[in-house]
Amino acid sequence: MAAGVAAWLPFARAAAIGWMPVASAPMPPPPRDKRRGQDGLIILNVSGTRFQTWRNTLERYPDTLLGSTERDFFFHEETNEYFFDRDPDIFRHILNFYRTGKLHYPRHECISAYDEELAFFGIIPEIIGDCCYEEYKDRRRENAERIQDDEENENNKDMVPPDMSFRETMWRAFENPHTSTMALVFYYVTGFFIAVSVMANVVETVPCSSGPNRAKETSCGERYALAFFCLDTACVMIFTVEYLLRLIAAPSRYKFVKSVMSIIDVVAIMPYYIGLVMTDNEDVSGAFVTLRVFRVFRIFKFSRHSAGLRILGYTLKSCASELGFLLFSLTMAIIIFATVMFYAEKGSSASKFTSIPAAFWYTIVTMTTLGYGDMVPKTIMGKIFGSICSLSGVLVIALPVPVIVSNFSRIYHQSQRAEKRRAQKASKEAGQALVCKSNPTFETQHHHLLHCLEKTTNHEFVDEQTYETSCMEVSLAKPSMSRSSSMSSSQHGLSSCCTRRNKRKTFNVSNSNMVAGRRGSIQELSTIHIRERPLSNSRSSLNAKFEETVPLNSEEQSYITAAVISMPTPPVTTPEGGDSTSSHDFLQSNIVRVSAL
Amino acid sequence: MLYPFPSLLSCPVLSETQLISVTHLFPGAPLPSLPHALSLTDSTDSDLELAMVRHQPEGLEQLQAQTKFTRKELQSLYRGFKNECPSGLVDEETFKLIYSQFFPQGDATTYAHFLFNAFDMDRNGSIRFEDFVIGLSVLLRGSVTEKLRWAFNLYDINKDGYITKEEMLAIMKSIYDMMGRYTFPSVKDDAALEHVEKFFQKMDRNRDGVVTIDEFIETCQTDENIMSSMQLFENVI
Repeated sequence: MAAGVAAWLPFARAAAIGWMPVASAPMPPPPRDKRRGQDGLIILNVSGTRFQTWRNTLERYPDTLLGSTERDFFFHEETNEYFFDRDPDIFRHILNFYRTGKLHYPRHECISAYDEELAFFGIIPEIIGDCCYEEYKDRRRENAERIQDDEENENNKDMVPPDMSFRETMWRAFENPHTSTMALVFYYVTGFFIAVSVMANVVETVPCSSGPNRAKETSCGERYALAFFCLDTACVMIFTVEYLLRLIAAPSRYKFVKSVMSIIDVVAIMPYYIGLVMTDNEDVSGAFVTLRVFRVFRIFKFSRHSAGLRILGYTLKSCASELGFLLFSLTMAIIIFATVMFYAEKGSSASKFTSIPAAFWYTIVTMTTLGYGDMVPKTIMGKIFGSICSLSGVLVIALPVPVIVSNFSRIYHQSQRAEKRRAQKASKEAGQALVCKSNPTFETQHHHLLHCLEKTTNHEFVDEQTYETSCMEVSLAKPSMSRSSSMSSSQHGLSSCCTRRNKRKTFNVSNSNMVAGRRGSIQELSTIHIRERPLSNSRSSLNAKFEETVPLNSEEQSYITAAVISMPTPPVTTPEGGDSTSSHDFLQSNIVRVSAL
Repeated sequence: MLYPFPSLLSCPVLSETQLISVTHLFPGAPLPSLPHALSLTDSTDSDLELAMVRHQPEGLEQLQAQTKFTRKELQSLYRGFKNECPSGLVDEETFKLIYSQFFPQGDATTYAHFLFNAFDMDRNGSIRFEDFVIGLSVLLRGSVTEKLRWAFNLYDINKDGYITKEEMLAIMKSIYDMMGRYTFPSVKDDAALEHVEKFFQKMDRNRDGVVTIDEFIETCQTDENIMSSMQLFENVI
């Protein structure tokens, strides 16, 4: 990307001659051009396949292997070419990256091989073009999962590291039953008892054969009350112990208590305890019976044992809107038809359609094509509308269901992909910031161009925040201080990476300006400056004198975000002394201006 | 790349230059524009006639004769140009887009429009490589007079040989637009007008309200700042 803009910069600079006759102030001197040698062809021999390209093409990305002096390590004197003992097929893509600025991922290549090549040539994968990025990330994730699975399998065979605390061991045993034999035993035992408990609840209600001297049949639960009670007690005890153990072992108790599984556990065992506490009071026995219903929730405890149940629960959750819509449309249809049926059947005698809510039952049964027959219309109008109801029921029920089913898969995959993409975007931008360093030469030339524009109009670029600050400060008659703060602040740039970085710095600076008060000396400001940007200014702070460093950096800072796709690069001072002096001279005048107030 | 050069171009006039003629798949259908425009129709979509016009520049020798660049410089320039514009032409929208990249703080489109007209010498709506290179040759290798003439041509929007106050105001406004909002000191509304007044005071010798080419060149030649700044970009290429 930077290649494209860089190619037009000479043109933009030449066109700046159009500003000269109307300029209000003299122009700044141009940056010294590092006259590298003539653009020549470089031969890259990759395992026998010769690639050739211009030197300039490679040097577009100076922080990769091929673009920097690192490639000299691979120079082969005998044949006067650069030899790399790597895969030529993948190298083709890497070279195309230099040429076009876009990195593509070939689908037929193995992801690990590709990653290795990228790592070797110093290219960050985050700059893979949008066309191939999703595919790349998918493959990478699959690979990572595969590796993780392999590792887990290996780990399980390994000894548990002895320094794991007992609590951690327990939690691990609970979460991964196949880590140790004990965990597996525990897993199966709890599973067995869940099944037993559920079966007991079910069997409890079956009528057992009654003795000849009994008046009515009793359910097994009543007959063998004690046995069932003991069974229930045993199950509940096991569940309670399990819950308490999990609670103790959980790394984050609060999170554990909030989780769905623990709520299910609690709901499963509470009825028993409530039942213990309550006496056989007639008033509350009704409520007590209701509570027993909750025992059936124990079946949900199986979802710990079954991944499929969990996935189902998740997809239901993610399809909630579709389900809601189905419900809503059904409700609408039910109300409409119930009303119609009620009024149609109002006339007939002994009609079962006593009220509209009573007609709801008929409508639902008819629309879902159940047709129990406990309520049937008797009038002709009722029959007509009843048939319309059943016909439309087929449509209303049948149509959304496949839509929902396909929505399940679509939404499921979509939400996965959207989340992936969001996560990818963040890391992608971070990667972009790291990798799209353009030439320092491009930077200096672009800065010079912008400086010329400033001189033409006799105004300076400032950042949004300092613009507002300076608006406030206009009332206070200290223009110079604002100017110094404006000089040391950054521009509001397009490039997100630079904006993020520099806005943060700007904020600190303007803060410090405020804090330091209007009387803050330039020295103070510069001190704060240097402290906040150790990385990008390390070279300049080594090279330049203290006072010069600050405006130097600030000059750089004030333009860096204007550079289109770039990162704050190390400022103008290059190891060559000549460059430094010229830029220092150029900035000396600025320094004089600032300190002269 | 940054600039997806549109395959659908508003067909420019391509008169004297060489054109690649591609079989027009709908010989019966009238071409939507001028007779010389040729198009490559996408056969997959018969409804949409995608016109992809390609332009080849004149030969290297001819360009060498017309400009002051060396052979190698021309080669390097063309490689860069062709990389960015595979079709060989830059239309105004793309030009504005490219130019705006350099001035992210402000709005460079108006100035880019004027610049485009200055480069597009035969006013056909697109800059060919020849226009590009001839313009650059004047700017980088021309004499001071030639550069001043070029600048005059830029300011003279309607190319009638006179710079009026309105023209200058338009140019000045576009330059100030490039600065954007966040400047110090902030750009006042009449900053451009003031600047234009100053310019006319300096340049308009006979106070007739317009600046002619001679007045312009004369005044500029007496101004040291302007003369020195003309030499600024000698070694850009």
